Amino acid sequence: MLALGKSTTAAHRRYVLRTMAFMIPYVLICVSMMVTDVFDEVIGKPAGWFLAAAVSAPVIGQLWATLSLIRDSDEFVRAVTAKLFIISAGLAMALATFWGFAETFAAAPHLPGWLIYAAFWGILGLVSPFVRTSN
Amino acid sequence: MRNHLKLLRTERGWTQEQLGQELGVSRQAVNALETEKHDPSLDLAYRIAVLFARPVEEIFDNPHI
Repeated sequence: MLALGKSTTAAHRRYVLRTMAFMIPYVLICVSMMVTDVFDEVIGKPAGWFLAAAVSAPVIGQLWATLSLIRDSDEFVRAVTAKLFIISAGLAMALATFWGFAETFAAAPHLPGWLIYAAFWGILGLVSPFVRTSN
Repeated sequence: MRNHLKLLRTERGWTQEQLGQELGVSRQAVNALETEKHDPSLDLAYRIAVLFARPVEEIFDNPHI
């Protein structure tokens, strides 16, 4: 879905650029949070809310980029993109629901809720090869 | 939906990319039409019919007959 070959459309090229613009800061913040202690001093302080909002903003941006792709694409790409996102979002919600109940009732280890966004993209990557028709 | 789009396209020596440009759709959309992975909207079907100067029924097989 992120291929940027010469046969891609202008809408698709804009989508790729917007995705990179939103995903790069998101990934940088997440990786910094996981491998360094640079954000540890904001834990429990008002700045922690700001950090949470800052790392969530690219998710909203990505939603806008995807809706723009759907709006600006032809009917086939529009249908396949919408189908892919619905399937991926549904499976991500199912995974989050499953793990939430597993934590409550099966003593599964706690996982941070923000991992669901990464899981969504992982699922999207896995199902993409199988979503090739608009039907 | 079964159709004769590939035949009509190759008769004119067009690539999928060229046909897509004529129709205002992506190469992927043309490929999906030719391989029956996408049923065109009525609007797109009529645009294809105008481009090849043929009735829609001569390009797309009516699945209800």
